[in-house]
Amino acid sequence: MEDGVTATQVVFWILAVVMLVSAIGVVTAGNIVYAALFFIASLAGVAGIYLILTVEFIALVQLLIYGSAVVILILFALMLTRARERPQALFGRSRPLGIAASLGLLAALIGGIVATTWTTPESSSAIQPVGLQAIGDAIFTIWIVPFIIVGVLLSIALDGAIMLASPDEDDN
Amino acid sequence: MPPLDHILIVNAVLFAIGAMGVLTRRNAVLILLSVELMLNAVSLNMVAFAVYGHVDFGNITGIIFAFFIIVIAAAEVALALGIVVRTFRNRATANVDEVNLLKW
Repeated sequence: MEDGVTATQVVFWILAVVMLVSAIGVVTAGNIVYAALFFIASLAGVAGIYLILTVEFIALVQLLIYGSAVVILILFALMLTRARERPQALFGRSRPLGIAASLGLLAALIGGIVATTWTTPESSSAIQPVGLQAIGDAIFTIWIVPFIIVGVLLSIALDGAIMLASPDEDDN
Repeated sequence: MPPLDHILIVNAVLFAIGAMGVLTRRNAVLILLSVELMLNAVSLNMVAFAVYGHVDFGNITGIIFAFFIIVIAAAEVALALGIVVRTFRNRATANVDEVNLLKW
């Protein structure tokens, strides 16, 4: 890890810059649809970093669940809730305070990271890729009960979302 | 592989950007997008710790956590967007500062 900049690190920084610039686009774009498109680019950057960390399974889950399902849901909600009669201000009145608070949070986080000594493996050869089989073994043996519970939770939440969004009889 | 602290700093920046979005936006859907950015930063952190530590510590729990975070984030998005659509139908706005029924 100490022997200069490797190709993996270059790719990591390219992906990180793409991810962070798109994330800034998400929170500053003046158009709601542009913000959603920036969000897709940011998700792709995160998935690429998962690939660099040799966790292909999470990268696939990221692209399938976030990149398709969540983004489609969000685009639908954006189109369903757009008020057409007047242009909307996208930022609240407390914007300077929010920017200052997030910069303070960033300073605190980076200060904590820099001040900590991380005991990582010395050479990159000590970092073994985590195989798909290891993840499957862990999910379906140790974590089987949380896995089932999260499946039940997901179906209940989706039923609840349908109930919330479906029109009542006394509406309209 | 990039060093662990570089990954952590990138994730801290992503988390702070998400927090900035939550604190400055007023459209509920855009706030939700920013929350998703923060969740992404956290699960990326967990995966990084798991990948760098699983040889020494012999488990990959961080990766499982990232998996569960993604699944629960999907449930959360579906439910929150249902609430946003319902709010828009009842009060004709998706801005959180105009939904002040409980404020007095």
